Amino acid sequence: MEEMMCYIPENLEEALAIMDEKDAIALAGGSDLMVSGANGTGVNPSFSRPVVIISNLPELKGIKKREDGWTEIGALSTSREIAESGLVHPLVRNAASLMGAVALRNSATIGGNIANASPKGDTPQPLILLDAEVTLKSVRGERRMKVDDFILGAKKTKLEKGEIITSVLIPPSSLTHCYYRKIGMRRANAISKLTISIGAEVRDGKVVDFRASSGAAGPKVIRSHEAESILIGKTLSELTEYKEEFLDAWNNAISPRAMPEYRRGTTRRMLSFFIDALSAGVQEGIIE
Amino acid sequence: MLSEIKFTLNGKRIIYQGDPLRRLLDVIREDLGFTGTKEGCSEGECGACSVIKDGRLVTSCIIPIGACNGSDILTIEGIRDTEKGECIISAFAEGGAVQCGFCIPGMVMAAYYLLENNPNPSEEEIRMGISGNICRCTGYDLIVDSIALAAKKGEELWKK
Ligand SMILES: Cc1cc2nc3c(=O)[nH]c(=O)nc-3n(C[C@H](O)[C@H](O)[C@H](O)COP(=O)(O)OP(=O)(O)OC[C@H]3O[C@@H](n4cnc5c(N)ncnc54)[C@H](O)[C@@H]3O)c2cc1C
Ligand code: FES
Ligand code: FES
Repeated sequence: MEEMMCYIPENLEEALAIMDEKDAIALAGGSDLMVSGANGTGVNPSFSRPVVIISNLPELKGIKKREDGWTEIGALSTSREIAESGLVHPLVRNAASLMGAVALRNSATIGGNIANASPKGDTPQPLILLDAEVTLKSVRGERRMKVDDFILGAKKTKLEKGEIITSVLIPPSSLTHCYYRKIGMRRANAISKLTISIGAEVRDGKVVDFRASSGAAGPKVIRSHEAESILIGKTLSELTEYKEEFLDAWNNAISPRAMPEYRRGTTRRMLSFFIDALSAGVQEGIIE
Repeated sequence: MLSEIKFTLNGKRIIYQGDPLRRLLDVIREDLGFTGTKEGCSEGECGACSVIKDGRLVTSCIIPIGACNGSDILTIEGIRDTEKGECIISAFAEGGAVQCGFCIPGMVMAAYYLLENNPNPSEEEIRMGISGNICRCTGYDLIVDSIALAAKKGEELWKK
């Protein structure tokens, strides 16, 4: 190892120090980086910046429920671990369980999925719907922000020099009805063409919360608080009356070039289906 | 900071001292000479390079050796002669699952991982279990049938 371009720290402190010193990039599961840095058979992958292999840092592992009710998912948690965890919200578990195929789900980490900020990434979409946050650590200290604020656009995030995502935090959710779809998966290991999550909280016949987010379509996950506010506070019997207004507002929130017309149609139909199911008094839980 | 990577391959202790970014696949095939693990797409999409790392099926073309310190890695050579490995391989032969054979080591690893975690899979579960493994010859049906056969023949084996 003449020219040290890759480091394997044994704990988080060591990792943060070397990340900062070398202005390095972190490698977690490697499922994005090993492909982008590939040089072919027998030739080692290479990168324009030094690499810090964080794959085995114990501080970044595990999923737990915190005392304040939030679920804390270590950044190195794999799609399989998330899909299998009863502590994680079903919308996120669903998204994780449909990523790639079996082997990919054993490698892909949630930290990598968020930091990679690919418009086709599957977990940011439900995380943004749930107002989830990331914890970022560097030698300078710790920051916390919403996933929605952290991801700026395609491949762009607020990650600063030497920073590592250490965990993802999901607030307790009181959504009573949820819906998730991943579309355009003709086979496993194919990227999403369109994903959508929808959630509502219904109390005593009234919609007290309504959220929708859609991914893989534009540079960034789409969520519109403005559109959501049209349905929030309405009674179930009023939903039909406000449905078109909501659907139009949602459609307007999608940037003009983000989705071809037929995919807008698909999104509209899924939202419409969910609202109709609510109006009809569908049972609580995941709506199929 | 680690300066060498210690792991086991098919039960044998290995100490690796080269570039941590070298692909696990190249270490297995080129450095250690276990050529049963194949390279197809090189991008994690075909499953030809599947191995079991710490009990989990992974594609070795997208994992750097630097992520393998302390790991136990199993390749086709490591399961071939075990009772479970023989059960799957003989079921593949009996069920006519093998044509050119290129995808088969990866398929056997995926089948092994599936049956280890789900001794009695449905057809749908078998198809999901090998959905990351591409076969260009068989059209999959005979492979699926053979895995079902391995589950049936090995019944007690998989419950251990
Ligand atoms: C065959 C195949 C199929 C795939 N299918 C899907 C799919 O269906 N859905 C999907 O969303 N993605 C898919 N992907 C993409 C990829 O697997 C995911 O984005 C995965 O979650 C990336 O995680 P990782 O740990 O492997 O990332 P890595 O490759 O290790 O890292 C990815 C990026 O994130 C950064 N990073 C990683 N961890 C951290 C951290 N803790 N802090 C700061 N930065 C970090 C790295 O520096 C790098 O820029 C697929 C990839 C392959 C090869
Ligand atoms: S060679 Fe690794 S998945 Fe195809
Ligand atoms: S038998 Fe030829 S690729 Fe599967």
